[in-house]
Amino acid sequence: MNMLDFLFFIEVTLSGLMAGVMYSLVALGFVLIFKASGIFNFAQGVMALFAALTLVGLMEKFGFPIWLAIIGTIAVMIALAWLIERVMLRQLVNQEPIILFMATIGLAYVLEGMGDILWGSDVKVLDLGIPQGAWEWLYDKGVYIEKLEMFAAGTAAIMVAFLAVFFQKTRIGRALRAVADDHQAALSVGISLHTIWVIVWSVAGIVALVAGIMWGSKSGVQFSLSLIALKALPVLILGGFTSVPGAIIGGMIIGVGEKLAEVYVGPFVGGAIENWFAYMLALAFLLFRPQGLFGEKIIERV
Amino acid sequence: MNRQNAAETILSVENISLSFGIMKVLDDISFDIKRGEIRSIIGPNGAGKSSMLNVINGFYHPQEGSITFKGETRKQMAPHVAASHGIARTFQNIALFKGMSTLDNIMTGRNLKMKTNLFWQALHLGPARLEELENREAAEQIIDFLDIQAIRKKPVGKLPYGLQKRVELGRALAAEPDLLLLDEPMAGMNSEEKEDMSRFIIDVNSQFGTTIALIEHDMGVVMDLSDRVLVLDYGKQLADGLPDEVRRNQDVIDAYLGVPHEHA
Amino acid sequence: MIYRETGQFKAHYQDDQALFPIDQDRYVIFGVLFVTFALVPYLLNEYWLNAILLPFLIYSLAALGLNILTGYCGQLSLGTGGFMAVGAFSVYKLMVAFPELGFIPLVLLSGLITAAVGTLFGLPSLRIKGFYLAVATLAAQFFLIWLFNKVGWFFNYSASGMINAPPMTIFGVIVTGPEANGVAKYYLVAGIVAVFALAAKNIARGRIGRNWMAIRDMDIAAELIGVRPLVAKLSAFAVSSFYVGMAGALYFAVWLGSAEPTEAFDINQSFLVLFMIIIGGLGSVLGSFLGAAFLVIMPILLKNIMVDGFGTDSALAAHIEIIVVGVLIIGFLIVEPHGLARLWRIAKEKMRLWPFPY
Repeated sequence: MNMLDFLFFIEVTLSGLMAGVMYSLVALGFVLIFKASGIFNFAQGVMALFAALTLVGLMEKFGFPIWLAIIGTIAVMIALAWLIERVMLRQLVNQEPIILFMATIGLAYVLEGMGDILWGSDVKVLDLGIPQGAWEWLYDKGVYIEKLEMFAAGTAAIMVAFLAVFFQKTRIGRALRAVADDHQAALSVGISLHTIWVIVWSVAGIVALVAGIMWGSKSGVQFSLSLIALKALPVLILGGFTSVPGAIIGGMIIGVGEKLAEVYVGPFVGGAIENWFAYMLALAFLLFRPQGLFGEKIIERV
Repeated sequence: MNRQNAAETILSVENISLSFGIMKVLDDISFDIKRGEIRSIIGPNGAGKSSMLNVINGFYHPQEGSITFKGETRKQMAPHVAASHGIARTFQNIALFKGMSTLDNIMTGRNLKMKTNLFWQALHLGPARLEELENREAAEQIIDFLDIQAIRKKPVGKLPYGLQKRVELGRALAAEPDLLLLDEPMAGMNSEEKEDMSRFIIDVNSQFGTTIALIEHDMGVVMDLSDRVLVLDYGKQLADGLPDEVRRNQDVIDAYLGVPHEHA
Repeated sequence: MIYRETGQFKAHYQDDQALFPIDQDRYVIFGVLFVTFALVPYLLNEYWLNAILLPFLIYSLAALGLNILTGYCGQLSLGTGGFMAVGAFSVYKLMVAFPELGFIPLVLLSGLITAAVGTLFGLPSLRIKGFYLAVATLAAQFFLIWLFNKVGWFFNYSASGMINAPPMTIFGVIVTGPEANGVAKYYLVAGIVAVFALAAKNIARGRIGRNWMAIRDMDIAAELIGVRPLVAKLSAFAVSSFYVGMAGALYFAVWLGSAEPTEAFDINQSFLVLFMIIIGGLGSVLGSFLGAAFLVIMPILLKNIMVDGFGTDSALAAHIEIIVVGVLIIGFLIVEPHGLARLWRIAKEKMRLWPFPY
């Protein structure tokens, strides 16, 4: 392998890593909700879209400055979490996971339709002044990396750190972990399930906003954003459904794997294998380690 | 009743050891079960009783030791193979098929007796229909035996606990097993229900000649029903013998019977 | 008052095991069949047959297939769209290569091919469960669509990547392609669906169906009483895919006439069929039909009311439509998670006892 090939390999790997961070951001929202309520929230991707649409809408239609628009969007996401808990989750307590999963697909439809009606369905440019273009320092050395992607990676790191502290050190975080372990036991020591759910869905909504901002800045705010929800599934398989670090690492593995496969294998089979590679990778992984990267081996009892 | 074969050993367990990671669940256990007897396994919670049953019917795979069932020695075996060799069981926590009716649960217990292929089943004619009717008749006999005619078509998920236990026994009986493993068939029952269940167990043993391995915490029941009793404690074999011998064994009294508040 | 089973004594087990043990149910079914085959084609016009009844019947078949896998055997699948595509492309290749075999045998063959593919993608179900399995089926969905898009052999290298159904006849009547008339297509599809609905019901109430449900309800216990998970799960995948494949073949050859994989068989198809069985009722043959009817007719109805009735802009109407579908799904799950079929059963129970509450 000569130097140029090697640099190209590095570039592909790095850009895969960065794309992976984006997946991680979406997967993170999934993990939060799954941990606290055992719900596989299919609407997480649409929530990212909805948040980004709201942000753009507030800025364009109402002329809000960026900071106010962000606060406004956060408020909307919290209100949404409250509404979801009230109208949907509360009625579906104790249902089977597949029923709850289906309900979140319904939720995804509602959010998608509402986003379109409220803010219009055209592709929108999202410009928050996040630096764009190549990162010069690396570019000089022959590797092309978007500044935006570096920025996204940094944001993700900060958010994970924040969430880790939130989960480990705060009272609410402890309650969250208790609920994740055992709903009934948590109820019996006086933790309100309803409050916890509102909090978790709010946090997931804010994570969705961050994901929406990053994806939106990169490729415009459009419907395809919501399909990332499906890409998060293999990420979760790799990382395990309940592990925050798992979501991050899983996202990166998928991102890198996908990019490398597309660049080095894609040309031989007609390209666009990005569409399915992540799922096949997760599948192959599952066959050898059904409990995920960080999961413990399950001992079945009867 | 197979008293004439009473000396024949149907199952013998030799030097079985089972561990999960560093946890040793069973440590060098050896015992046998004779055809036609009721054999109890007792011991405090966590003694490894259920794990022992899981090893016998192939759900757990022991690291060491071997099992001989009906003259065939094996180290491990897939559960459905064990079932096809004539081992059936009930579970500590009821493991019925909750979405199905009582009749369907019992009919599922007879699945190994049924052979017709998908094609005939799709037509529901000829051999498939005949087979279904024959097995329905066998299932109905079990329903009569257990006196559960009234709940024949009810989904089992909604039945009261005692009845569910009974249906589960029916499902195991439907397979016409040579060896029936009962994991705490009377847990959580009141004394009346326990009496009913004891009666069923004795009847199964005497009418069908089924060999029974029983895990139970109620000492009265164990001492009355069993031909022989095996005692486990922390995965180790503590005692093995006739109920009276076990009752007098000092180790057993120390570990288990001598502690009055141990089990309700 | 009419729905009474008093006085209907069953002297033999075969009476009790009949498909419809209660006389009234039997009358209803005969009535439905009579209406379906003798009245509908003459009462309804081409629009009704083509735009509503054909998709309803074809989706019912697909829903039946998915219900076998998900409803009866408990294995979640998000790959229905992909498997429908397998059926569609199989029948296309077969129609071009072996037109002399006749259309119905070709549809059955496509079903068998899909069954083979489905079984292959069902293999992971032996190691993984629940949402993990959903990923395996998603892999099938995306991989299959990609394959049919990229490999020219499947669409005979047509420039557009589209496949077009050549005209084929049954007893001299054209049933595929643009020249086929609605009544002929309707009879063909209704006939196939009726036969295979009966077969599904029979399989579901026999040994194989019980083994599927046993795996669904408590897989460990099922294994310990001798149900082989390998056989039960893979047979569910095979039978399910057979149905879905036939539905895909009919969907393409009889209803659409031409198709392009990314649009006709995308992930939304998978979700649509999944919604049908959830709303209709998991583990119910009747539910598959009810769910398909609901989700085929409701959007058309909504669109007609909004666009024609209130003059709503059609883009806005489309947005409102997906909101309404979403709300209805959530609403249904809250009110009756077991679907329309359960509501129907409850109604029948009530009728049996009427006018008494118990």
